[in-house]
Amino acid sequence: MFLIIIALLPLTLVSCAPWGTQSAGGWSGTAVHDGIVYVGTRDGRVVAINSSTENLEWAYSIAPATALTSGLACSPSAVSAAIYTTPIVSGDLVYVGTYSGQVLALNMLARRQNLTFPQRGNDEWEWDCPIDNAKSNAIVADLAMSEDALYVASSNGRVYSLDKGSGDENWRREDIPVLAEKLWTSPVIQVNTLYVSTYDGHIYALSVETGELDWSFESDSGFASSPTIYRDAIFLGSFNHHLYAIKIGSDVLEWRFPEKPAGNWFWASPVVDEGIVYAGCLDGKLYAIEADTGRERWSYLTEDQNGKPSPIVSSPVLTDNLLIVVNESGTVYVFDLGAELGNDAVPLKIISIGAAVRSSFCAQEGLVYIRDEDNWTYAVDINEGEISWKLDLTKKEE
Amino acid sequence: MSFGEVWNLIIANPILNVLVALTNLLGGSFGLAIISLTIIVRLVSWPLTKRQLKSSKAMQDMQPKIQELQKKYGKNKPKLQQEMMKLYKEAGINPLGCLWPMLIQFPIWIALYQSIMSALATTPENLLNLAQRLYSWEIVSQAIPLSSQFLGLDLGQTALEAGGLGLLLAIIVGGTMWIQQKMTAAPSVDPRQASTQRMMTLMMPLMFGFFTLMFPIGLALYWAVSNIIGIITQYFVTGGWGYLKFRSPFSQR
Repeated sequence: MFLIIIALLPLTLVSCAPWGTQSAGGWSGTAVHDGIVYVGTRDGRVVAINSSTENLEWAYSIAPATALTSGLACSPSAVSAAIYTTPIVSGDLVYVGTYSGQVLALNMLARRQNLTFPQRGNDEWEWDCPIDNAKSNAIVADLAMSEDALYVASSNGRVYSLDKGSGDENWRREDIPVLAEKLWTSPVIQVNTLYVSTYDGHIYALSVETGELDWSFESDSGFASSPTIYRDAIFLGSFNHHLYAIKIGSDVLEWRFPEKPAGNWFWASPVVDEGIVYAGCLDGKLYAIEADTGRERWSYLTEDQNGKPSPIVSSPVLTDNLLIVVNESGTVYVFDLGAELGNDAVPLKIISIGAAVRSSFCAQEGLVYIRDEDNWTYAVDINEGEISWKLDLTKKEE
Repeated sequence: MSFGEVWNLIIANPILNVLVALTNLLGGSFGLAIISLTIIVRLVSWPLTKRQLKSSKAMQDMQPKIQELQKKYGKNKPKLQQEMMKLYKEAGINPLGCLWPMLIQFPIWIALYQSIMSALATTPENLLNLAQRLYSWEIVSQAIPLSSQFLGLDLGQTALEAGGLGLLLAIIVGGTMWIQQKMTAAPSVDPRQASTQRMMTLMMPLMFGFFTLMFPIGLALYWAVSNIIGIITQYFVTGGWGYLKFRSPFSQR
């Protein structure tokens, strides 16, 4: 009996250890709008930071849904208030999806006054994602936004279209197909079509009007990243260590990169500029690939502070002819795309924030806004090559 | 290198990668991979299991002699214990020998629990962390992502969450453990020890049944299959149901 208890005690402890599951979480990224940085924190709040004054404008705590008990083993329900989605801004509203299965529309004015949520008079609303016999209704994937609607991919395997003004569902629920066991990759809109990639290796094209399936593609491997669309092709990473290019409407693979598998998954969505696909890999390399041919232009190995390769988890960002890449160890690389980079690209700047980064980041007017895994937000000045300011987002006890 | 890194390098990562590779080989069934891994673990620990079973059989054969000693030194407990230990020593039996196969399985349980949670990627973090723990073997990368479904059960869920089938699994785990224990546990001649033993024989299956409800079904599947293999091998090695049919004279009281 004693031995059994001894054996099961570490099992219980291990189940709750940081490397097992997590006690808080989410990797919500940053969005910047009119000089205000919006980000979800690791303690389940949406915050607005004034980039000029470096102060918190407002913060809203997302109430955790009623957690299911999962016994001794720490379960995903323990992180029901976590935020994985990056906030998106439209007019006075900030939209965010939560791990507890809600989409919230937060009005900046109402949140600044700390009024009770939702303030219907300020167009605030909340939408509860149905579970629909699935394991979870958690929203992990970033929301997609068109002029009138938000598109939400859920862990229940379905995509929903919501009216931006009211939060009402635009599609009839009975018409919404189950696309996968869970959807953790973000939908992407192009013209009147919504493209969704799945972990079981499908790409689906849905009508934005009705949610009906227009086209699908099946791969030999699961897709790890969200799709990126450039001209008439879709670029996305896979679990089999390749980046795929697929012509929209075709059932034939355009190309697969590299010829021999890379060192790890292509987890981050690539970005495309001037016919070149820039893709970060979890093996620590940034690849520049010709969009038409799949031929490598150059690659660059990013490293941590000890000189070891560090995974690229966040998608690269393009701004003012600069390509910005941040690896998991918190090193920011700036590449000048206007310069002739040749076969061995040399970064214009390398800046370390010295903290783990898994969230998506954004850039505006020479500043890159990054949220780290310790709940700090950084503004990195890429012209000066230094941290402009940083703010601890951990909720302070009153 | 920290303990966690050493643990991952030596135990957790090999088990995880073997599980994922087995899943690919077995047509994408993670449940069959867990069953196969259980068989592999049982095969690896076979020399110890065999020693334990032989020891158990020898103790069973020794029962008449033990009863004789009990009659002779029944009122002198220290002497009885001394004589029994002497008897065990002469027969080359270590009464604690049966613990080794179980002790060996402890780190496997822990690693298996971590592997199930990691491989089935029950949280987004688990999925991302999985990338850093998988070997760059094609057989492994082709298997990702894994399906958690097996025989109508979700291997990443707890049996409690699974409802009726989960409850059935908890009963199977507890029941098979009780049978295995009854087959192995030599009845004690000491009434107090016999009472403790009876309690343990009942408590352990109940505890494991309870843990089955609380931990992922994948781990419970390992326990159930491991117990069933244990019962089968024990039956054939010891040539019968062992102490399952044996009634201690003290149980009459």
